[in-house]
Amino acid sequence: MEQAVHLDGITKRFPGVVANDDVDLAVEKGTVHALLGENGAGKTTLMNVLYGLYQPTEGTVNVHGETQQFDSPRDAIDEGVGMIHQHFMLVDPMTVTENITLGNEPRKWLGLTVDSEQSREQVRELSERYGFDVDPDARIEDVGVGVQQRVEILKALYRGADVLILDEPTAVLTPQEVEDLFRVLEELTDQGKTIIFITHKLGEAMEAADEITVLREGKNVGTVPADDITREELAEMMVGREVLLDLDREPAEPGRSILDVDDLVVEDDRGVRAVDGISLEVRAGEVLGIAGVDGNGQSELVEAITGLQMPDEGTITYDDVDRTTDSRRERIEAGLAYIPEDRQERGLVMDFDLVENGLLGSQHAADYTSKGRIDWNHTRDHAEEIIEEYDVRPPDANAHAKSLSGGNQQKFVVGREFARDPRLVVASHPTRGVDVGSMEFIHDQINALREAGRAVLLISSNLDEVQSLSDRLAVVYEGEIVDIVDPERVTEEQLGLLMAGQQPDAVPTIAANGEGHQ
Amino acid sequence: MTNDSAMDRLSSMSGRLFIAAAAVLSLAVLAGFGLLAPASTPGQIFWVLASKSTLSSTLRLSVPIVLAALGGIFAEKSGIINIGLEGLLIISAFAAIFGADATGSLWLGFLIGIVASTLLAAVFAVVCIEFRADQIIAGLAVWLIALGLAPFASQVFYGGPNTSNVGTFDTITVPALADIPFFGALFDASPAVYIMFLAVAASWYVLNRTTFGRWVRAAGENPKALDTAGVDVSRVRYAAVLLSGVLSGMGGAALAINIGQFTGNGPTMVNGKGFIAIVAYLFGNYNPVGALLSTTLFAGLDAVQLRLQTADVIAVPDSLVQAIPFVAVIVVLALVGKTRLPEAAGEHYESGEE
Repeated sequence: MEQAVHLDGITKRFPGVVANDDVDLAVEKGTVHALLGENGAGKTTLMNVLYGLYQPTEGTVNVHGETQQFDSPRDAIDEGVGMIHQHFMLVDPMTVTENITLGNEPRKWLGLTVDSEQSREQVRELSERYGFDVDPDARIEDVGVGVQQRVEILKALYRGADVLILDEPTAVLTPQEVEDLFRVLEELTDQGKTIIFITHKLGEAMEAADEITVLREGKNVGTVPADDITREELAEMMVGREVLLDLDREPAEPGRSILDVDDLVVEDDRGVRAVDGISLEVRAGEVLGIAGVDGNGQSELVEAITGLQMPDEGTITYDDVDRTTDSRRERIEAGLAYIPEDRQERGLVMDFDLVENGLLGSQHAADYTSKGRIDWNHTRDHAEEIIEEYDVRPPDANAHAKSLSGGNQQKFVVGREFARDPRLVVASHPTRGVDVGSMEFIHDQINALREAGRAVLLISSNLDEVQSLSDRLAVVYEGEIVDIVDPERVTEEQLGLLMAGQQPDAVPTIAANGEGHQ
Repeated sequence: MTNDSAMDRLSSMSGRLFIAAAAVLSLAVLAGFGLLAPASTPGQIFWVLASKSTLSSTLRLSVPIVLAALGGIFAEKSGIINIGLEGLLIISAFAAIFGADATGSLWLGFLIGIVASTLLAAVFAVVCIEFRADQIIAGLAVWLIALGLAPFASQVFYGGPNTSNVGTFDTITVPALADIPFFGALFDASPAVYIMFLAVAASWYVLNRTTFGRWVRAAGENPKALDTAGVDVSRVRYAAVLLSGVLSGMGGAALAINIGQFTGNGPTMVNGKGFIAIVAYLFGNYNPVGALLSTTLFAGLDAVQLRLQTADVIAVPDSLVQAIPFVAVIVVLALVGKTRLPEAAGEHYESGEE
């Protein structure tokens, strides 16, 4: 078979860091090749070398059998290499067509005017050829993330890409959109395109790729065919040691009730009842999981419990004290820790360093401030403790939050919140976008809290995660709890039905007070 | 997300509609009085409004505001907020008169006004794009520099804040059409008025139909997208800011030549027109035609207040009447509320940053 891409002995050094160390990579034409590894393993750096954003310190880049010297992405695009970045490069108020043709617009009238008819026609043709369902006239701000991603792919194809590099393409997609993306990738390879996609998710690499190359600490650990390797073997290649994908643990011994939510109603911005009469209870020493398709009221439920949004009806009680209308500060002081679903929006201030970020939420605590002045020495020690204990990399308290990878940002947030010694933890998608090693670590920490007799409310759209960590599992649909089930005995099919709002037969239900479990 | 932005558009739209409807309604009421009871106070106001000379002075007052607003649109759409439009108007107003005086040609003076404004805009562009200065502060500096420089130069060359008189453009009159009541003013106007209309049409076309216009919009919304598409963001922004200098220069030159001299006392003859231009393009939602329409609203009210002062129809102190256009600006700003700024407006962009 013909090789579309052959990277030979690529080494990329940055001041003080070797991001890629003598990496070989061979990708056959017309295949999907997954580049798998933990955050910081050097996947994106390697692909930036192929795309001309970085020049390799050593080694050569061969595309379609010819050695290439890419000085900029322009050169790579000219040789048919396109890259779709994790953060889309689209102009929101412009249409799909305008975005795809940007910078390469067909012109008419002596080049004075954009030929919008021709642009639209070209985009429609391209979209149809690859079976993309994209409206050329839709505005980017009006279409979903999945469509935006297809627009990015079309943009690369419009510029004549044969080799498409996708950086963590599934990170922002719903499971349904992931399926659609994989179908699109199949269609593209059928038509002779070559795909390289970067991921840290084992399952996706195994499902979508023909071959998988694993990177660890900047080195190529091996390339394997996706068909004859197991999850465990792949995980071990990634992490470099055996990984426990399933947790073994003692049954819960729940104590008294810590969080009581009664008949909660929360309306969203448009006045729709996003949470429509939810009652639940979380007790000391247990994890209550909330499963459901995103957008069924989980965000609003969490915001009401954590005090980010006031509920319209119902009560919220911590430790037998009514805290329905308490402020964030009062709730934090009452022992609440919160891991937000969007760490970059709500968990961290990206332009602050880790010392300052470590203080967030504790700025009123007497340990850190006195008479309105911050005790920076103590605050710095605190941040360094979190970094040490939660293995945040790079281990530099002066680093800005934005310079950390997603997994390390999340570890820092988790560390900061758990360091408060909370009585109640609300964890919203705590491992979203986090690599396997960090995920295992965060799961261990949640378990440790449970062992220590804390109450944990865990919201996640990752079914494996809620099933393995929860003692009881509440399934929400359209703002209501459909049922509370035993996560160990419920099947995935039953969960799927519950998440669609239906009540399957013979579900291992647990009553809201947990008696069914004992 | 999509719902929110749709809501934003809707609510800002309804604010604009409301203002337009209120304006039309009050005109209709006044027209009713004008036809049925011409001797009543509102009736008299209507006939003041409906006179050809009101439209004529509205257009004259609009020229510098509209041209500066067009310049502001290009700069801000590209991501550079040019708050120094006022300064560009001042410098070009003086330079035009000085140039006309020195060369003996009004048109050469007009051109020299444009050159002066473009040079000042170029300094602003270099400071903002090359040296990453804060755009608001740099813009205020442009205003303050011009505010000091123009009267100072006048002092040096003419011995006082006011220059000598160099005369004005002859009006261009279209026979027959100029005799139409009210709208006849459109066909009996200074060349600057025709230049303004041409500039509005050309600006709309460039922004919406050409590749350059598309790049300008992309540079202001998501410069990185433009950069990865292989277009140099800085060059697009330089071009847009220089264009704002050219357009504002036309406005300032037209303003001064319309009077025949530059007057440099206090806030100079420009007297806040550059800032009203900013309001005008925001109210016009960055659309050149919208900027023209909103300017005619402000300038029209200004023209009316000038006429009302002399017509002596209502027994209200002149200073209250003079406040009408400014009250209108505040009301309009409050009602429009949400104009959506370009996403990357005011932000520096450096190619190759990760």
